[in-house]
Amino acid sequence: MITGKRVTLAAAALALAGIGLLPVLTMIARSFFVDGRLGMEAYAALFASSQRLLPWFGNSLLLASLISFSATIIGAPLGVLLARTDLPWRGVFAVLFALPFFVPPYVIAAAWFSALDQSGSIGRLLPEGASEFLSSTFFGLSGCVVSLTTSFTPIVMLLTMAYISAVNPRLEQAGLLASRWPNVLWRITLPLIAPAIVFASVLVFLLTLGEVGVPTFLRYPVYPTEVLTQFAAFYDFSAATAAALPLLLVAAMVLTLEKSLQRTSSATIGASMTNAPNGAIALGRWRLPLLWVVSLWMFATVITPFAALLGQAASLDALAQAFARGGDSILRSVVFASVGATFLTLSGFFCGYLIHHKALAIWRSVDALTLFLFTLPGTVVGVGLISLWNHPSTNVIYATPAIVILGFLAQYALIPTRMTAAVLQRIPPSLENAAELAGAGWFTILGEIVAPIAKRGLIATWTICYIFCVRDLGIAMVVYPPGSDTLTVRIMTLMANGAPSLIAALCLILIIVTLAPLLAAVFWRAASRPFT
Amino acid sequence: MNRLAPLALFALAIIMTIVGWWLLAPEGGESVVVYVSHDEVFSEPILKDFEKETGIEVRAVYDTEETKSAGAMNRLIAEKSNPQADVYWANEPIRAEVLRQQKIAAPYLSPNAAGIPESFRDPLGYWTGFAARARVLIVRQDVDPKPTSIFSYLDPQWRGKAVIANPLFGTTTDEIAALFVLLGDEDARSFMETMRDNDVKTAPSNGDSADLVSRGQFAFSLVDSDDAVSRMSRHERAIMVYPDQGADEIGSLIVPNAAVLIAGAPHPDAARKLIDYLLSVETERKLAFSDAAQIPLHSGVKTPPGVKPIEAIKTMAVDYAAVATKLQEIQPYLKNWAATR
Repeated sequence: MITGKRVTLAAAALALAGIGLLPVLTMIARSFFVDGRLGMEAYAALFASSQRLLPWFGNSLLLASLISFSATIIGAPLGVLLARTDLPWRGVFAVLFALPFFVPPYVIAAAWFSALDQSGSIGRLLPEGASEFLSSTFFGLSGCVVSLTTSFTPIVMLLTMAYISAVNPRLEQAGLLASRWPNVLWRITLPLIAPAIVFASVLVFLLTLGEVGVPTFLRYPVYPTEVLTQFAAFYDFSAATAAALPLLLVAAMVLTLEKSLQRTSSATIGASMTNAPNGAIALGRWRLPLLWVVSLWMFATVITPFAALLGQAASLDALAQAFARGGDSILRSVVFASVGATFLTLSGFFCGYLIHHKALAIWRSVDALTLFLFTLPGTVVGVGLISLWNHPSTNVIYATPAIVILGFLAQYALIPTRMTAAVLQRIPPSLENAAELAGAGWFTILGEIVAPIAKRGLIATWTICYIFCVRDLGIAMVVYPPGSDTLTVRIMTLMANGAPSLIAALCLILIIVTLAPLLAAVFWRAASRPFT
Repeated sequence: MNRLAPLALFALAIIMTIVGWWLLAPEGGESVVVYVSHDEVFSEPILKDFEKETGIEVRAVYDTEETKSAGAMNRLIAEKSNPQADVYWANEPIRAEVLRQQKIAAPYLSPNAAGIPESFRDPLGYWTGFAARARVLIVRQDVDPKPTSIFSYLDPQWRGKAVIANPLFGTTTDEIAALFVLLGDEDARSFMETMRDNDVKTAPSNGDSADLVSRGQFAFSLVDSDDAVSRMSRHERAIMVYPDQGADEIGSLIVPNAAVLIAGAPHPDAARKLIDYLLSVETERKLAFSDAAQIPLHSGVKTPPGVKPIEAIKTMAVDYAAVATKLQEIQPYLKNWAATR
């Protein structure tokens, strides 16, 4: 029994290492070879040009810090407001605020630009000088901040919402006996979810640090452009790998900091499943003003860019064109993302279990590996996959969509692992212990106790994995097999001289395809609700 | 039921994988794999027509703007020992020439190449040019007098008012490398330094710099003719000027597409058929009448009003192989130049 558990968890960890770490190690190992012989030229060249690269690196750090700060300062209160208060239309707000997360950031930047442009919905309302100033100011750091804050705030908001729902209601109830909600929120709830907010903030920092599309579009020079340049302009894989290493070092430092912050936090979440959650926090006289503030913010940051996108796509002709040119890609995106999400949920379940229960001595390494892989730019993971799998004997992987699925499993392993660990945290260990004492095998415990209790969490995990897979661009762009592009890749390839209405229509379809499982879940819940 | 939940999830994964593979697997008939650096919006209709006419399924990998039209090239290099592609449709001949130098290209002399001038094809058939773009100036409509030469970038009257795409990428790199070949290293470096001193701005791509001009932020930019034509067809405030057309001037650089047969191509017969199709008069005519507004290289091909026939343009006389070699040589210099912007 114990052996079965250990073997299964070890196999999951090994599979993760094989799928994710091996390609990266292969790529790094190759960067030490120049023309077939061992050499450090790539790293020497990087060191020699460090003076030139430092300002770009500084820009990257500045941008990542700004986005991390702004997304946290906006996303965390928004998450609390939408998850725990009696603000009207919270569900609608949550879906609308999450929308930017469902499309690649460069689409958001393009949408913002079309709104601010002189002929755009905002630009044409302004005097010519003002609109010119606005659209030219948008190019640079300010545009990057606006676009990426719009894109990444939902991450902080959604994680805050998820974690605040997991806070043990007994702790808040105890606090409410002695104090009122604002104090309970400040002194009990927020400290409990602080590690989740820090994690979300770190996630945003790292995603911004690796972002290329938006800074390139808005002409703000950042360090990852250097990595792309090495790939794109010089066909130099070794130099590109060497250039990526400083990014990895910063990522590792930030993750270590996050870990140490989490360790110093003495609070635990661990809601008891037998307790009903606390009721919504009554906003009282603040309800209406806050509704106004949230509505205005939503109008400014979500409705404005998306309306510009919709305005361009709003013709039957554009939609017909989009289906004609992207129909196959839409189908492929759905299938790849569904398969990827299913395998991710499966592997993430075991890795999350391993981490939560610290079931093997390597649990820290597995946790660190998933984080490391998540922070790697998709293009780097993609090139690593090419380095490892591009052989005649492995064409069954390399020349088929399996390579894309492997890329998803490597890059997004963090999501199901962390989510499963969070879900398992809500299951009292006594349940498993009791079953074990009663003689139940591990697989029986999983099937009879863990899976039924974690069912909702696992469905949520699958949905989030699906969303990450369907909006992926970095991996798919580098490794998609001939004739098997995904919708995000199709949008990118058509962006070069494609009609704006066609691009907008494809983006609209991408949003619908991404939201499909969420909509299905909403309909399913509505349909399964008993008539009263 | 609950006991079976993990198994059911696993079974679902397997079923979805099989259904997905079945839905998305390539059809069983003859097929050809092509990597394409030309814009998908223009190249896909041509490949669809080929599929319709020959019954050969085309499986394509397209480049994206984000990879600066070099993603396909990088894949070809990475796959050198295990080629997946049969044909590379390059959007300019320099990359095709680099593939020849790296022994990734194979020779093929297509019968349809006969009508294409020798200056636009490799003599041994490692690449063959077709349907070209010209390097032109896109100029804001209200600018007067209008610049007529790429050396206008050095003219103090345009200080801070001109923009050029990043010379590390795409056809702008080709143009700079061609200038190095044509003028010699010293004069070409002087051209680059003076351009920097004259506060010429850089944009990420030709498309971006064309937008910056047509939206009124700059007076002119050196771009590809299709970039200029597309802005003009959208009635934006810009016109196209073929540069350096005077008798003793250097002419406009012509950038043909290039068809390359890949060494060790898995489907060589289908690959040759596709290359023949790409090099046909009919394909050149279609590309001329598309929004890509490409210039046919076969003589006598009908062109729309906005596209000048190749005979009517004074073209820059360069050897593309020499440009490719020079391009690789000057990359460190260009990188430094771009970094000091």
